[in-house]
Amino acid sequence: MKIIYSCPFIPAEWIAAHGLLPSRISAGSSTLKLGPGVCPYACSFAGAAIEEKTAAGVIVTTACDQMRRIYDVITENTDLSAFLMHVPHTWQTVEAQRLYISELKRLGDFLIELGGNTPTPDILRQTMIEYNDNRAALRDLQGSLSPRDWALRLSEFNRTGKFDQAIQDTKYTPSGVPVALVGGPIPANQCDIYDFIESAGGYVSLDATETGERTLPAPFDRRLLKENPVSALIDSYFNTIYDAFRRPNNELFKWLKLKLTERGVRGIILRRYLWCDNWNAEAYRLKEWSGLPFTQIDANDDGTVDVRTSSRIQAFMESIK
Amino acid sequence: MSGITLSDWDRHYIELKEAGLKEPWYGGPLRRHVEDGDLRLLKLRYDDSAAALRLWNFLLTEEDRLREARSNGKKLVGVMKDLGTVPVMAYSLPNVVAFYPDGAWWTPCIMEMSEGLFGLAASYGLDESFCPVRAMLGAFVTEAHFPIPDMLTCSVGATCDDFSSIAQRVEGLGYPINWWEMPARRKPGPNEKVIRLPGGFYATVDQVAFVKSELERVKTALEELSGYKLSDDMLKDGIRAANKARKTLSELRLAVFTAKSSPIPALEMQIAEMFAIHFCSDREETAAVLQDMLAEAQKRISSGIGILPEDSVRIFWVNPVADLRAMNVLEDCGGRICGADYLFAHALDEIPEDLHPMEALARMALADPMVGSSHDRAERIMRDIEAFGSEAVLISKIPGASHCATEGAVIGRAVKAELNLPVVEIEVPPLTDSMQPTIMTRIEALIETAREWRK
Repeated sequence: MKIIYSCPFIPAEWIAAHGLLPSRISAGSSTLKLGPGVCPYACSFAGAAIEEKTAAGVIVTTACDQMRRIYDVITENTDLSAFLMHVPHTWQTVEAQRLYISELKRLGDFLIELGGNTPTPDILRQTMIEYNDNRAALRDLQGSLSPRDWALRLSEFNRTGKFDQAIQDTKYTPSGVPVALVGGPIPANQCDIYDFIESAGGYVSLDATETGERTLPAPFDRRLLKENPVSALIDSYFNTIYDAFRRPNNELFKWLKLKLTERGVRGIILRRYLWCDNWNAEAYRLKEWSGLPFTQIDANDDGTVDVRTSSRIQAFMESIK
Repeated sequence: MSGITLSDWDRHYIELKEAGLKEPWYGGPLRRHVEDGDLRLLKLRYDDSAAALRLWNFLLTEEDRLREARSNGKKLVGVMKDLGTVPVMAYSLPNVVAFYPDGAWWTPCIMEMSEGLFGLAASYGLDESFCPVRAMLGAFVTEAHFPIPDMLTCSVGATCDDFSSIAQRVEGLGYPINWWEMPARRKPGPNEKVIRLPGGFYATVDQVAFVKSELERVKTALEELSGYKLSDDMLKDGIRAANKARKTLSELRLAVFTAKSSPIPALEMQIAEMFAIHFCSDREETAAVLQDMLAEAQKRISSGIGILPEDSVRIFWVNPVADLRAMNVLEDCGGRICGADYLFAHALDEIPEDLHPMEALARMALADPMVGSSHDRAERIMRDIEAFGSEAVLISKIPGASHCATEGAVIGRAVKAELNLPVVEIEVPPLTDSMQPTIMTRIEALIETAREWRK
């Protein structure tokens, strides 16, 4: 039985260890229409949940206010079992971490209500090892595939827990100017953006979107995994995923600084959703802080790269070549 | 049209003074605030009572009070977002004054944009997609609209993204913030112990304990700032003092909202309610100002005096307005306020005095209508509608606010389904002048529908 969700702070391993199939989706478009002011991504996710026919449940988190409130819309419009998990925005205190743990336990109760099983430590540990290994394999693939192909494999992994591990005959060789793509989620049907950046003379050397490497939890601590798998899970998910909504969010900038240097990034593209306050508020700061050429593009929820976006990317790439 | 203009107040003030009006130190003619830049006052209409004069003067002199407090050696705490909880702690300490930098969201309205705060916020990347509270960032940059606090606190988690994001940018300017977590209030699971909160919501024992632990962190920070230990007895005294103002406000609301004819205008009532969240930087004076307002309302009710026609439609108003003039407009259209949820309903409820004080504050913080679901908020609104006999609901959207994108529809559907009352949403920008015909048309449509439904 499938459980759908979108937030990277929900550990897939936790759902899988309960005997259910975690499916982290990135909803690309929906027929659901909500009023003005609603984040297009949140609207698409609500639409996907409402239209869902095969899932046993949906999990929404409080990582942003729009998604928290989308939970209300989902519960009003579908009988699908829904769970709202509070992901603490603060992270520096033991209390915040404890709250995250208690929310995971509550999520576990929800999963059991849906027919899942209470995982033994061994089952949880084994599940975590499998996911850890898969993520390691995904990381290994990163330099061999084009940014678009890698993003699609990651999307496939998030959605199904599996992905095609085959490497193409011809290894991807990046050419053009290395740029960072930063921001919220990029649904699979909107991955044209990666190709478009390439055709404009660049390539995404750092995928810091919500569906990119930024939200891959760090490999589990082996000692902790052996002694206390839940602690290892918390350690990776709560402490190593960096996001704009966290308070304070200075760890995001520390992570970015490291990666921007490591990848030799020469420009930053922020892909933002209209009404996404968390990322929109950081645009100016990103520009000032990084000292790199910077541009922002609006996410287009029909999956295409529209004329305005393409012109902006082309001009940006021309200016930094 | 009800109420008097600022020009009327100029004459009326002289008459009152000649009749022996005694004012507190911050008293004086309202006109002087216009000279300080509060241009919107020229376009508002006011209640003509001495009590209302005191209320306005108290509101418009807060910055002076803050600067005076600082010069007297008091510590200033900028409390952000929680709307009513942390100030109760802060005012329990002898040398601390708390205020909400959030209040800067009204500055562009009051000063009719002459202060340039939105432009400044935009220059830092906060454009119209953010709610008007973005003015706060500009106020931190200019340091002109409130003294920079000695300490900042901000609740995050189950709060609006606009505020959280803007506060993060404030921190980026070099003002450290004591962030504290507010979990989303949720329905308890089958085996969870439950606590009834002030205002009627429920939370789990675990959630209350968590919020209590977060507030303990804030308390420690306040103690470090002030140099005083905040004992349980001091906090109990602080809660009693806060409740004094809340009780008066509660009596005022009940008297005004249920009176046959409205004794106090919507605008002054909204301002009176705002005082509950941080006492406008003077807790004792707030209680006195509210007592004056209550006395005026009771005097008018007992004399059968109303400021609006008896058949005015009884409106329940949801969310505060960025432009205060909208409250005048409602009355021009034939409405009167009979119930309101200006985002801080929890700050109007009395804080339990029979509990450990930190436990009581934690319960109050969790009773915030904004930290639960929109369905929860709708439930409380509907309870209040029944208590006050409201005939229609007006949901005023705050431009750009993350919660306003979906909550209005949820609340509207609930009210229509459960109470069969007409509901209209309007969007109120910081200055409504150019949109006034549209806003009036929508309010008039609501009023007409409510009148029809009376039949």
